[in-house]
Amino acid sequence: MSISTSPPPPVVKAATAGSSSLARSEPPIIVFEKVSKVYANGQAAIRDASFTVRPRDFVFVVGASVAGKSTVIRLLIREERATQGHVLVEGQDLARLKHRHLPRLRRKMGIVFQDFKLLPALTVEQNVAFAIQVTDPGRPHLKEKVGEALYIVGLEDKLNAFPTELSGGEQQRVAIARALVHRPRIFLADEPTGNLDPDAGWGIVQLLQQINHRGATVVMATHNREVVDLCRRRVLAIEDGRIVRDESEGAYLRDGDAIL
Amino acid sequence: MNPIPALKFVARVAVQNILRNRGIAVASILTITLTLLGAGVAVVVVHALDGVLHTEEAQASVLKVFMADHVGFASEVNLEHNLGSPASVASATFENKDQAAQQAGSSLGLTQAINLLERSGAGNPLPASLNFHLKNIKAVSELNQQVRTSALLDSGPHPTDYNADVIPRLERYIFVAQLGGGLVVGVVGAVALVIITISVRTAAYVRRREIEIMKLVGATDWFVRWPFVLEGVIVGVISALVASVILLGVGLGFGGGHSLALGIGAPFAGVTVLALIVAGGALGSVGSFVGVRRSLST
Ligand SMILES: Nc1ncnc2c1ncn2[C@@H]1O[C@H](COP(=O)(O)OP(=O)(O)OP(=O)(O)O)[C@@H](O)[C@H]1O
Ligand SMILES: [Mg+2]
Repeated sequence: MSISTSPPPPVVKAATAGSSSLARSEPPIIVFEKVSKVYANGQAAIRDASFTVRPRDFVFVVGASVAGKSTVIRLLIREERATQGHVLVEGQDLARLKHRHLPRLRRKMGIVFQDFKLLPALTVEQNVAFAIQVTDPGRPHLKEKVGEALYIVGLEDKLNAFPTELSGGEQQRVAIARALVHRPRIFLADEPTGNLDPDAGWGIVQLLQQINHRGATVVMATHNREVVDLCRRRVLAIEDGRIVRDESEGAYLRDGDAIL
Repeated sequence: MNPIPALKFVARVAVQNILRNRGIAVASILTITLTLLGAGVAVVVVHALDGVLHTEEAQASVLKVFMADHVGFASEVNLEHNLGSPASVASATFENKDQAAQQAGSSLGLTQAINLLERSGAGNPLPASLNFHLKNIKAVSELNQQVRTSALLDSGPHPTDYNADVIPRLERYIFVAQLGGGLVVGVVGAVALVIITISVRTAAYVRRREIEIMKLVGATDWFVRWPFVLEGVIVGVISALVASVILLGVGLGFGGGHSLALGIGAPFAGVTVLALIVAGGALGSVGSFVGVRRSLST
Protein backbone atom coordinates (compact mmCIF):
# COMPACT_ATOMS: atom_id res chain seq x y z
CA MET A 1 0.00 0.00 0.00
CA SER A 2 2.84 2.38 0.74
CA ILE A 3 4.39 4.40 -2.00
CA SER A 4 8.13 4.53 -2.41
CA THR A 5 9.92 7.76 -3.10
CA SER A 6 12.04 6.09 -5.77
CA PRO A 7 11.78 7.45 -9.32
CA PRO A 8 8.28 7.17 -10.67
CA PRO A 9 7.33 4.82 -13.46
CA PRO A 10 7.72 6.69 -16.74
CA VAL A 11 4.05 6.74 -17.63
CA VAL A 12 1.25 6.32 -15.21
CA LYS A 13 -2.18 6.58 -16.64
CA ALA A 14 -4.30 7.53 -13.68
CA ALA A 15 -7.43 5.55 -13.14
CA THR A 16 -10.52 7.58 -13.79
CA ALA A 17 -12.72 6.21 -11.05
CA GLY A 18 -13.23 9.78 -9.83
CA SER A 19 -15.63 10.65 -12.63
CA SER A 20 -17.88 7.63 -12.56
CA SER A 21 -21.44 7.97 -13.71
CA LEU A 22 -22.58 7.65 -10.11
CA ALA A 23 -20.67 10.81 -9.17
CA ARG A 24 -22.41 12.72 -11.95
CA SER A 25 -25.78 12.20 -10.36
CA GLU A 26 -24.68 13.48 -6.96
CA PRO A 27 -24.91 17.16 -6.02
CA PRO A 28 -21.63 19.07 -6.30
CA ILE A 29 -19.44 19.12 -3.21
CA ILE A 30 -17.89 22.49 -4.09
CA VAL A 31 -19.61 25.35 -5.90
CA PHE A 32 -18.14 28.70 -6.92
CA GLU A 33 -20.96 30.95 -8.08
CA LYS A 34 -19.88 34.23 -9.71
CA VAL A 35 -17.21 34.63 -7.05
CA SER A 36 -15.07 37.74 -6.86
CA LYS A 37 -12.42 38.42 -4.28
CA VAL A 38 -10.91 41.84 -3.71
CA TYR A 39 -8.36 41.98 -0.88
CA ALA A 40 -8.45 44.75 1.70
CA ASN A 41 -5.70 46.60 -0.17
CA GLY A 42 -7.88 46.78 -3.28
CA GLN A 43 -6.09 43.96 -5.12
CA ALA A 44 -8.56 41.91 -7.14
CA ALA A 45 -7.54 38.22 -6.97
CA ILE A 46 -10.63 36.40 -8.30
CA ARG A 47 -13.00 37.87 -10.87
CA ASP A 48 -16.46 36.47 -11.44
CA ALA A 49 -15.37 32.82 -11.22
CA SER A 50 -17.93 30.02 -11.50
CA PHE A 51 -17.31 26.27 -11.40
CA THR A 52 -18.47 23.17 -9.58
CA VAL A 53 -16.62 20.12 -8.29
CA ARG A 54 -18.38 16.76 -7.92
CA PRO A 55 -17.64 14.34 -5.11
CA ARG A 56 -14.48 12.27 -5.82
CA ASP A 57 -13.32 14.63 -8.56
CA PHE A 58 -9.62 15.34 -8.87
CA VAL A 59 -9.00 18.92 -10.00
CA PHE A 60 -5.80 20.74 -10.86
CA VAL A 61 -6.09 24.52 -10.50
CA VAL A 62 -3.35 25.90 -12.74
CA GLY A 63 -2.15 29.33 -13.72
CA ALA A 64 0.81 31.66 -13.68
CA SER A 65 2.08 33.21 -10.47
CA VAL A 66 -0.41 35.63 -8.87
CA ALA A 67 -3.19 34.25 -11.06
CA GLY A 68 -5.29 33.61 -7.94
CA LYS A 69 -4.81 29.87 -7.26
CA SER A 70 -4.05 30.23 -3.57
CA THR A 71 -6.98 32.57 -3.20
CA VAL A 72 -9.29 29.79 -4.41
CA ILE A 73 -7.92 27.53 -1.65
CA ARG A 74 -8.20 30.29 0.97
CA LEU A 75 -11.82 30.88 0.00
CA LEU A 76 -12.56 27.16 0.36
CA ILE A 77 -11.20 26.97 3.91
CA ARG A 78 -12.85 30.32 4.69
CA GLU A 79 -9.57 31.93 5.54
CA GLU A 80 -10.91 34.62 3.23
CA ARG A 81 -14.50 35.54 2.39
CA ALA A 82 -15.76 36.15 -1.12
CA THR A 83 -16.32 39.83 -1.84
CA GLN A 84 -19.13 38.89 -4.23
CA GLY A 85 -20.86 35.69 -5.18
CA HIS A 86 -21.10 32.48 -3.21
CA VAL A 87 -18.71 29.70 -2.26
CA LEU A 88 -20.55 26.54 -1.22
CA VAL A 89 -19.05 23.44 0.38
CA GLU A 90 -21.40 20.47 0.68
CA GLY A 91 -24.25 22.86 0.02
CA GLN A 92 -23.24 25.25 2.79
CA ASP A 93 -22.72 28.90 1.86
CA LEU A 94 -19.42 29.82 3.51
CA ALA A 95 -20.43 33.49 3.66
CA ARG A 96 -23.12 32.55 6.15
CA LEU A 97 -20.90 30.23 8.17
CA LYS A 98 -20.48 31.52 11.72
CA HIS A 99 -17.00 31.84 13.14
CA ARG A 100 -17.69 29.18 15.75
CA HIS A 101 -18.61 26.69 13.01
CA LEU A 102 -15.31 27.10 11.16
CA PRO A 103 -13.72 24.13 12.99
CA ARG A 104 -16.48 21.85 11.69
CA LEU A 105 -15.78 22.96 8.12
CA ARG A 106 -12.04 22.50 8.49
CA ARG A 107 -12.37 19.02 9.96
CA LYS A 108 -14.09 17.97 6.76
CA MET A 109 -11.01 19.09 4.89
CA GLY A 110 -7.45 17.97 4.71
CA ILE A 111 -5.13 20.81 3.77
CA VAL A 112 -1.46 20.83 2.77
CA PHE A 113 0.82 23.59 1.59
CA GLN A 114 4.09 24.14 -0.19
CA ASP A 115 5.89 24.76 3.13
CA PHE A 116 4.58 21.63 4.97
CA LYS A 117 3.82 23.55 8.19
CA LEU A 118 5.22 20.92 10.54
CA LEU A 119 6.20 21.64 14.13
CA PRO A 120 9.98 21.19 14.31
CA ALA A 121 10.04 20.34 18.01
CA LEU A 122 7.70 17.38 17.57
CA THR A 123 8.44 13.97 16.12
CA VAL A 124 6.65 12.65 13.04
CA GLU A 125 4.22 10.74 15.21
CA GLN A 126 3.60 13.72 17.49
CA ASN A 127 3.06 16.04 14.53
CA VAL A 128 0.30 13.78 13.22
CA ALA A 129 -1.16 13.18 16.69
CA PHE A 130 -1.28 16.94 17.23
CA ALA A 131 -4.23 17.26 14.84
CA ILE A 132 -6.26 14.90 17.03
CA GLN A 133 -5.04 16.26 20.36
CA VAL A 134 -6.16 19.80 19.60
CA THR A 135 -9.55 18.80 18.22
CA ASP A 136 -10.58 15.66 20.04
CA PRO A 137 -8.24 14.90 22.91
CA GLY A 138 -8.98 11.63 24.54
CA ARG A 139 -10.09 10.07 21.27
CA PRO A 140 -9.54 6.35 21.78
CA HIS A 141 -6.90 4.46 19.79
CA LEU A 142 -4.94 7.65 19.07
CA LYS A 143 -1.74 5.75 18.42
CA GLU A 144 -3.41 3.33 16.01
CA LYS A 145 -5.06 6.15 14.06
CA VAL A 146 -1.77 8.01 13.78
CA GLY A 147 -0.02 4.81 12.74
CA GLU A 148 -2.67 4.13 10.11
CA ALA A 149 -2.29 7.63 8.59
CA LEU A 150 1.49 7.26 8.53
CA TYR A 151 1.14 3.85 6.92
CA ILE A 152 -0.96 5.31 4.11
CA VAL A 153 1.79 7.83 3.32
CA GLY A 154 4.52 5.20 3.67
CA LEU A 155 6.26 6.58 6.75
CA GLU A 156 5.34 3.94 9.30
CA ASP A 157 9.04 3.39 10.03
CA LYS A 158 9.82 7.06 10.76
CA LEU A 159 7.58 7.61 13.78
CA ASN A 160 10.31 8.99 16.00
CA ALA A 161 12.17 11.08 13.47
CA PHE A 162 12.06 14.86 13.67
CA PRO A 163 11.04 16.89 10.60
CA THR A 164 14.57 18.21 10.11
CA GLU A 165 15.79 14.63 9.73
CA LEU A 166 13.45 14.05 6.78
CA SER A 167 13.65 14.89 3.09
CA GLY A 168 11.23 17.45 1.68
CA GLY A 169 9.10 14.74 0.15
CA GLU A 170 8.93 12.88 3.44
CA GLN A 171 7.99 16.06 5.29
CA GLN A 172 5.15 16.63 2.86
CA ARG A 173 3.99 13.06 3.50
CA VAL A 174 3.89 13.79 7.22
CA ALA A 175 1.76 16.85 6.47
CA ILE A 176 -0.53 14.68 4.34
CA ALA A 177 -0.81 12.09 7.12
CA ARG A 178 -1.73 14.84 9.55
CA ALA A 179 -4.37 16.08 7.12
CA LEU A 180 -5.79 12.56 6.84
CA VAL A 181 -6.49 11.86 10.51
CA HIS A 182 -9.95 13.40 10.39
CA ARG A 183 -10.77 11.27 7.31
CA PRO A 184 -11.53 14.36 5.21
CA ARG A 185 -14.06 14.26 2.37
CA ILE A 186 -12.19 17.08 0.67
CA PHE A 187 -8.44 17.30 0.29
CA LEU A 188 -6.91 20.67 -0.64
CA ALA A 189 -3.31 21.11 -1.67
CA ASP A 190 -1.69 24.45 -2.47
CA GLU A 191 1.50 23.88 -4.50
CA PRO A 192 2.29 20.68 -2.58
CA THR A 193 5.20 19.94 -4.92
CA GLY A 194 6.53 23.50 -5.03
CA ASN A 195 9.51 22.81 -2.75
CA LEU A 196 10.25 19.32 -4.02
CA ASP A 197 12.43 17.84 -6.71
CA PRO A 198 10.48 16.21 -9.59
CA ASP A 199 10.69 12.65 -8.20
CA ALA A 200 9.53 13.57 -4.73
CA GLY A 201 6.85 15.80 -6.24
CA TRP A 202 5.60 12.98 -8.40
CA GLY A 203 5.42 10.74 -5.36
CA ILE A 204 3.23 13.28 -3.61
CA VAL A 205 0.90 13.58 -6.60
CA GLN A 206 0.56 9.79 -6.73
CA LEU A 207 -0.30 9.83 -3.06
CA LEU A 208 -2.98 12.47 -3.66
CA GLN A 209 -4.41 10.32 -6.46
CA GLN A 210 -4.48 7.38 -4.10
CA ILE A 211 -6.34 9.50 -1.54
CA ASN A 212 -8.74 10.41 -4.32
CA HIS A 213 -9.26 6.71 -5.08
CA ARG A 214 -10.13 6.16 -1.46
CA GLY A 215 -13.06 8.53 -1.98
CA ALA A 216 -11.84 12.05 -1.22
CA THR A 217 -12.37 14.99 -3.54
CA VAL A 218 -8.99 16.54 -4.32
CA VAL A 219 -8.29 20.11 -5.38
CA MET A 220 -4.64 20.83 -6.06
CA ALA A 221 -3.34 24.27 -6.99
CA THR A 222 -0.11 23.95 -8.93
CA HIS A 223 2.13 25.31 -11.62
CA ASN A 224 3.91 21.98 -12.00
CA ARG A 225 3.37 21.44 -15.69
CA GLU A 226 4.96 17.99 -15.83
CA VAL A 227 2.65 16.56 -13.21
CA VAL A 228 -0.50 18.00 -14.75
CA ASP A 229 0.41 16.74 -18.20
CA LEU A 230 1.20 13.24 -16.91
CA CYS A 231 -1.99 12.87 -14.93
CA ARG A 232 -4.53 14.11 -17.47
CA ARG A 233 -7.12 14.91 -14.86
CA ARG A 234 -9.54 17.80 -14.77
CA VAL A 235 -7.80 21.15 -15.22
CA LEU A 236 -9.16 24.55 -14.17
CA ALA A 237 -6.95 27.27 -15.60
CA ILE A 238 -6.94 30.72 -14.01
CA GLU A 239 -5.56 33.84 -15.59
CA ASP A 240 -5.62 37.11 -13.75
CA GLY A 241 -8.40 35.86 -11.49
CA ARG A 242 -10.64 34.52 -14.26
CA ILE A 243 -11.40 30.90 -15.08
CA VAL A 244 -10.21 30.69 -18.67
CA ARG A 245 -10.39 26.94 -19.19
CA ASP A 246 -12.10 23.93 -17.61
CA GLU A 247 -11.24 20.56 -19.21
CA SER A 248 -12.02 17.12 -17.83
CA GLU A 249 -8.77 15.52 -19.02
CA GLY A 250 -6.71 18.61 -19.57
CA ALA A 251 -3.08 19.57 -19.95
CA TYR A 252 -1.20 22.38 -18.23
CA LEU A 253 -1.39 24.53 -21.34
CA ARG A 254 -4.10 24.86 -23.92
CA ASP A 255 -3.49 22.40 -26.76
CA GLY A 256 -2.67 25.21 -29.17
CA ASP A 257 -0.28 26.86 -26.71
CA ALA A 258 1.53 23.65 -25.95
CA ILE A 259 3.02 23.64 -29.43
CA LEU A 260 4.72 26.96 -28.83
CA MET B 1 -15.42 16.35 23.82
CA ASN B 2 -13.87 14.65 26.81
CA PRO B 3 -13.07 17.32 29.42
CA ILE B 4 -10.24 15.60 31.29
CA PRO B 5 -7.79 15.24 28.38
CA ALA B 6 -8.83 18.70 27.19
CA LEU B 7 -7.91 20.22 30.54
CA LYS B 8 -4.70 18.22 30.56
CA PHE B 9 -3.90 19.67 27.15
CA VAL B 10 -4.58 23.20 28.39
CA ALA B 11 -2.42 22.73 31.49
CA ARG B 12 0.41 21.12 29.55
CA VAL B 13 0.54 23.86 26.91
CA ALA B 14 0.29 26.64 29.51
CA VAL B 15 3.20 25.26 31.54
CA GLN B 16 5.14 24.58 28.33
CA ASN B 17 4.58 28.20 27.25
CA ILE B 18 5.87 29.55 30.53
CA LEU B 19 8.92 27.29 30.49
CA ARG B 20 9.63 27.89 26.83
CA ASN B 21 9.51 31.66 27.31
CA ARG B 22 11.10 31.66 30.76
CA GLY B 23 12.72 35.07 30.26
CA ILE B 24 9.46 36.76 29.40
CA ALA B 25 7.62 34.91 32.16
CA VAL B 26 10.14 35.92 34.83
CA ALA B 27 10.20 39.51 33.58
CA SER B 28 6.44 39.78 33.66
CA ILE B 29 6.24 38.13 37.10
CA LEU B 30 8.78 40.64 38.43
CA THR B 31 7.02 43.63 36.94
CA ILE B 32 3.58 42.50 38.02
CA THR B 33 4.93 41.72 41.50
CA LEU B 34 6.25 45.27 41.73
CA THR B 35 2.98 46.77 40.56
CA LEU B 36 0.92 44.57 42.87
CA LEU B 37 3.30 45.53 45.67
CA GLY B 38 2.56 49.19 44.90
CA ALA B 39 -1.14 48.44 45.06
CA GLY B 40 -0.70 46.40 48.24
CA VAL B 41 1.23 49.18 49.99
CA ALA B 42 -1.41 51.68 48.90
CA VAL B 43 -4.17 49.48 50.30
CA VAL B 44 -2.33 48.90 53.59
CA VAL B 45 -1.54 52.60 54.03
CA VAL B 46 -5.10 53.64 53.22
CA HIS B 47 -6.36 50.99 55.61
CA ALA B 48 -4.04 52.18 58.42
CA LEU B 49 -5.01 55.79 57.77
CA ASP B 50 -8.64 54.76 57.70
CA GLY B 51 -8.25 53.13 61.10
CA VAL B 52 -6.76 56.31 62.60
CA LEU B 53 -9.43 58.44 61.02
CA HIS B 54 -12.20 56.17 62.22
CA THR B 55 -11.03 56.46 65.83
CA GLU B 56 -10.96 60.21 65.40
CA GLU B 57 -14.30 60.13 63.69
CA ALA B 58 -15.86 58.09 66.49
CA GLN B 59 -14.69 60.69 68.97
CA ALA B 60 -15.86 63.53 66.80
CA SER B 61 -19.20 61.95 66.04
CA VAL B 62 -20.68 62.86 69.39
CA LEU B 63 -23.42 65.48 69.63
CA LYS B 64 -23.81 66.82 73.16
CA VAL B 65 -27.27 68.23 73.79
CA PHE B 66 -27.43 70.33 76.96
CA MET B 67 -30.68 70.18 78.92
CA ALA B 68 -32.44 73.06 80.61
CA ASP B 69 -32.37 72.56 84.38
CA HIS B 70 -36.14 72.32 84.72
CA VAL B 71 -36.43 69.38 82.36
CA GLY B 72 -37.63 66.26 84.08
CA PHE B 73 -36.39 62.79 83.53
CA ALA B 74 -39.51 61.77 81.58
CA SER B 75 -39.02 64.51 79.02
CA GLU B 76 -35.41 63.56 78.62
CA VAL B 77 -36.37 60.01 77.98
CA ASN B 78 -38.90 61.29 75.48
CA LEU B 79 -36.27 63.38 73.67
CA GLU B 80 -33.88 60.48 73.67
CA HIS B 81 -36.58 58.30 72.27
CA ASN B 82 -37.49 60.76 69.55
CA LEU B 83 -34.00 61.59 68.47
CA GLY B 84 -32.36 58.34 69.25
CA SER B 85 -34.43 56.44 66.77
CA PRO B 86 -32.98 57.69 63.43
CA ALA B 87 -30.76 55.21 61.69
CA SER B 88 -27.82 57.54 62.00
CA VAL B 89 -27.69 57.25 65.80
CA ALA B 90 -25.62 54.41 67.18
CA SER B 91 -26.35 55.05 70.85
CA ALA B 92 -27.38 57.78 73.25
CA THR B 93 -26.19 58.25 76.84
CA PHE B 94 -27.49 60.54 79.51
CA GLU B 95 -25.06 62.61 81.55
CA ASN B 96 -26.60 64.22 84.64
CA LYS B 97 -25.42 67.42 86.32
CA ASP B 98 -23.23 65.63 88.83
CA GLN B 99 -21.57 63.55 86.15
CA ALA B 100 -21.00 66.69 84.11
CA ALA B 101 -19.38 68.35 87.11
CA GLN B 102 -17.20 65.34 87.69
CA GLN B 103 -16.23 65.22 84.03
CA ALA B 104 -15.41 68.91 83.94
CA GLY B 105 -13.51 68.56 87.18
CA SER B 106 -11.31 65.75 86.04
CA SER B 107 -10.72 66.76 82.46
CA LEU B 108 -10.56 70.54 82.90
CA GLY B 109 -9.17 70.80 86.43
CA LEU B 110 -12.14 72.92 87.51
CA THR B 111 -13.00 70.92 90.65
CA GLN B 112 -12.19 73.74 93.01
CA ALA B 113 -14.10 76.34 91.05
CA ILE B 114 -17.18 74.13 90.90
CA ASN B 115 -17.00 73.29 94.57
CA LEU B 116 -16.73 76.97 95.32
CA LEU B 117 -19.83 77.80 93.30
CA GLU B 118 -21.82 74.98 94.87
CA ARG B 119 -20.89 76.10 98.38
CA SER B 120 -21.80 79.70 97.63
CA GLY B 121 -25.38 78.52 97.02
CA ALA B 122 -25.38 79.09 93.28
CA GLY B 123 -25.54 75.31 92.80
CA ASN B 124 -23.95 73.18 90.08
CA PRO B 125 -23.60 75.45 87.05
CA LEU B 126 -23.14 72.61 84.59
CA PRO B 127 -26.17 71.40 82.67
CA ALA B 128 -27.19 67.80 82.23
CA SER B 129 -26.80 66.52 78.66
CA LEU B 130 -27.81 63.80 76.26
CA ASN B 131 -24.83 62.54 74.31
CA PHE B 132 -25.67 61.07 70.93
CA HIS B 133 -23.04 58.82 69.39
CA LEU B 134 -23.61 58.87 65.66
CA LYS B 135 -22.61 56.23 63.17
CA ASN B 136 -21.55 58.70 60.55
CA ILE B 137 -19.75 61.92 61.08
CA LYS B 138 -21.81 63.62 58.39
CA ALA B 139 -25.03 63.10 60.34
CA VAL B 140 -23.86 65.20 63.27
CA SER B 141 -24.72 68.62 61.89
CA GLU B 142 -28.04 67.36 60.58
CA LEU B 143 -29.11 66.01 63.97
CA ASN B 144 -27.88 69.24 65.52
CA GLN B 145 -30.33 71.22 63.37
CA GLN B 146 -33.22 69.01 64.47
CA VAL B 147 -32.36 69.11 68.15
CA ARG B 148 -31.93 72.85 68.39
CA THR B 149 -35.63 73.50 67.87
CA SER B 150 -36.58 71.57 71.02
CA ALA B 151 -37.83 73.62 73.98
CA LEU B 152 -36.13 71.31 76.42
CA LEU B 153 -32.71 72.62 75.66
CA ASP B 154 -30.54 74.78 77.82
CA SER B 155 -31.24 78.41 76.95
CA GLY B 156 -27.59 79.44 76.96
CA PRO B 157 -25.71 80.61 73.84
CA HIS B 158 -24.47 77.03 73.15
CA PRO B 159 -27.34 74.62 73.68
CA THR B 160 -25.49 71.89 71.84
CA ASP B 161 -21.87 71.06 71.34
CA TYR B 162 -19.99 69.12 68.74
CA ASN B 163 -16.54 69.26 67.25
CA ALA B 164 -17.53 71.33 64.26
CA ASP B 165 -14.25 72.02 62.50
CA VAL B 166 -12.79 68.55 62.93
CA ILE B 167 -15.52 67.04 60.83
CA PRO B 168 -14.85 68.60 57.42
CA ARG B 169 -11.14 68.19 57.99
CA LEU B 170 -11.50 64.49 58.67
CA GLU B 171 -13.77 64.12 55.70
CA ARG B 172 -11.17 65.75 53.52
CA TYR B 173 -8.42 63.45 54.77
CA ILE B 174 -10.50 60.37 54.23
CA PHE B 175 -11.44 61.52 50.76
CA VAL B 176 -7.84 62.30 49.77
CA ALA B 177 -6.56 59.02 51.18
CA GLN B 178 -9.20 56.98 49.38
CA LEU B 179 -8.75 58.90 46.14
CA GLY B 180 -4.97 58.55 46.31
CA GLY B 181 -5.19 54.86 47.15
CA GLY B 182 -7.77 54.25 44.44
CA LEU B 183 -5.64 56.11 41.92
CA VAL B 184 -2.53 54.08 42.76
CA VAL B 185 -4.48 50.82 42.58
CA GLY B 186 -6.05 51.86 39.25
CA VAL B 187 -2.80 52.91 37.59
CA VAL B 188 -0.97 49.87 38.91
CA GLY B 189 -3.76 47.57 37.71
CA ALA B 190 -3.67 49.11 34.24
CA VAL B 191 0.10 48.67 34.06
CA ALA B 192 -0.12 45.03 35.12
CA LEU B 193 -2.87 44.43 32.56
CA VAL B 194 -0.77 45.88 29.74
CA ILE B 195 2.21 43.77 30.78
CA ILE B 196 0.21 40.56 30.78
CA THR B 197 -1.35 41.43 27.43
CA ILE B 198 2.06 42.04 25.89
CA SER B 199 3.48 38.89 27.44
CA VAL B 200 0.65 36.74 26.11
CA ARG B 201 0.83 38.41 22.72
CA THR B 202 4.52 37.53 22.63
CA ALA B 203 3.76 33.95 23.61
CA ALA B 204 1.11 33.80 20.88
CA TYR B 205 3.65 35.14 18.40
CA VAL B 206 6.18 32.52 19.41
CA ARG B 207 3.48 29.89 18.96
CA ARG B 208 2.00 31.37 15.76
CA ARG B 209 2.82 28.35 13.62
CA GLU B 210 1.23 26.04 16.15
CA ILE B 211 -1.88 28.23 16.31
CA GLU B 212 -2.04 28.37 12.52
CA ILE B 213 -1.95 24.57 12.34
CA MET B 214 -4.52 24.24 15.11
CA LYS B 215 -6.94 26.35 13.10
CA LEU B 216 -6.20 24.48 9.89
CA VAL B 217 -6.95 21.10 11.44
CA GLY B 218 -10.17 22.44 12.96
CA ALA B 219 -9.35 23.18 16.59
CA THR B 220 -11.93 25.40 18.26
CA ASP B 221 -11.03 28.80 19.73
CA TRP B 222 -11.31 27.14 23.12
CA PHE B 223 -8.14 25.13 22.52
CA VAL B 224 -6.26 28.14 21.28
CA ARG B 225 -7.41 30.51 23.99
CA TRP B 226 -7.44 28.60 27.27
CA PRO B 227 -3.76 27.67 27.50
CA PHE B 228 -2.98 31.38 27.22
CA VAL B 229 -5.60 32.33 29.78
CA LEU B 230 -4.23 29.75 32.18
CA GLU B 231 -0.73 31.02 31.48
CA GLY B 232 -1.84 34.55 32.37
CA VAL B 233 -3.56 33.34 35.54
CA ILE B 234 -0.46 31.38 36.62
CA VAL B 235 1.79 34.40 36.04
CA GLY B 236 -0.69 36.69 37.87
CA VAL B 237 -1.09 34.41 40.86
CA ILE B 238 2.65 33.76 41.22
CA SER B 239 3.19 37.53 41.16
CA ALA B 240 0.50 37.99 43.81
CA LEU B 241 2.10 35.37 46.05
CA VAL B 242 5.54 36.94 45.74
CA ALA B 243 4.06 40.39 46.41
CA SER B 244 2.20 39.05 49.48
CA VAL B 245 5.31 37.45 50.94
CA ILE B 246 7.27 40.68 50.51
CA LEU B 247 4.43 42.82 51.86
CA LEU B 248 3.92 40.67 54.95
CA GLY B 249 7.66 40.23 55.44
CA VAL B 250 8.23 43.98 55.42
CA GLY B 251 5.20 44.44 57.69
CA LEU B 252 6.64 41.95 60.16
CA GLY B 253 9.95 43.77 60.03
CA PHE B 254 8.29 47.09 60.89
CA GLY B 255 6.26 45.54 63.65
CA GLY B 256 9.38 44.10 65.30
CA GLY B 257 8.22 40.60 64.44
CA HIS B 258 5.14 40.90 66.60
CA SER B 259 2.47 42.11 64.27
CA LEU B 260 1.73 41.79 60.61
CA ALA B 261 1.80 44.52 58.03
CA LEU B 262 2.18 47.88 59.79
CA GLY B 263 0.72 46.62 63.01
CA ILE B 264 -2.50 45.55 61.34
CA GLY B 265 -3.98 42.28 62.44
CA ALA B 266 -3.85 38.88 60.81
CA PRO B 267 -7.42 39.00 59.41
CA PHE B 268 -6.59 42.09 57.39
CA ALA B 269 -3.33 40.52 56.18
CA GLY B 270 -5.29 37.45 55.08
CA VAL B 271 -7.81 39.57 53.22
CA THR B 272 -5.02 41.52 51.56
CA VAL B 273 -3.26 38.37 50.36
CA LEU B 274 -6.54 36.95 49.08
CA ALA B 275 -7.33 40.23 47.32
CA LEU B 276 -3.88 40.29 45.70
CA ILE B 277 -4.29 36.72 44.46
CA VAL B 278 -7.75 37.42 43.08
CA ALA B 279 -6.47 40.62 41.51
CA GLY B 280 -3.46 38.80 40.01
CA GLY B 281 -5.66 36.03 38.63
CA ALA B 282 -8.18 38.49 37.23
CA LEU B 283 -5.48 40.62 35.62
CA GLY B 284 -3.93 37.47 34.18
CA SER B 285 -7.11 36.16 32.62
CA VAL B 286 -8.32 39.51 31.27
CA GLY B 287 -4.86 40.33 29.89
CA SER B 288 -4.68 36.94 28.19
CA PHE B 289 -8.10 37.28 26.65
CA VAL B 290 -7.08 40.59 25.13
CA GLY B 291 -3.63 39.33 24.19
CA VAL B 292 -4.83 36.25 22.33
CA ARG B 293 -7.81 37.86 20.61
CA ARG B 294 -5.83 38.87 17.57
CA SER B 295 -4.75 35.27 16.99
CA LEU B 296 -8.35 34.09 16.82
CA SER B 297 -9.68 36.38 14.12
CA THR B 298 -9.52 33.94 11.19
N1 LIG C 1 -3.55 38.77 1.76
C1 LIG C 1 -3.49 39.45 0.60
N2 LIG C 1 -3.66 40.79 0.60
C2 LIG C 1 -3.62 41.48 -0.54
N3 LIG C 1 -3.42 40.93 -1.75
C3 LIG C 1 -3.23 39.62 -1.81
C4 LIG C 1 -3.26 38.80 -0.65
N4 LIG C 1 -3.05 37.53 -1.02
C5 LIG C 1 -2.90 37.54 -2.34
N5 LIG C 1 -3.01 38.79 -2.83
C6 LIG C 1 -2.95 39.18 -4.23
O1 LIG C 1 -3.95 38.47 -4.93
C7 LIG C 1 -3.46 38.03 -6.17
C8 LIG C 1 -3.61 36.53 -6.29
O2 LIG C 1 -2.78 35.93 -5.30
P1 LIG C 1 -2.70 34.35 -5.09
O3 LIG C 1 -1.85 34.11 -3.91
O4 LIG C 1 -4.08 33.82 -5.07
O5 LIG C 1 -1.97 33.89 -6.41
P2 LIG C 1 -1.36 32.46 -6.79
O6 LIG C 1 -1.95 32.10 -8.10
O7 LIG C 1 -1.50 31.52 -5.69
O8 LIG C 1 0.16 32.84 -7.00
P3 LIG C 1 1.46 31.92 -6.73
O9 LIG C 1 1.56 30.99 -7.89
O10 LIG C 1 2.58 32.92 -6.73
O11 LIG C 1 1.27 31.24 -5.43
C9 LIG C 1 -2.04 38.51 -6.28
O12 LIG C 1 -2.03 39.71 -7.03
C10 LIG C 1 -1.64 38.79 -4.86
O13 LIG C 1 -0.72 39.84 -4.80
MG1 LIG D 1 -0.15 30.56 -4.37
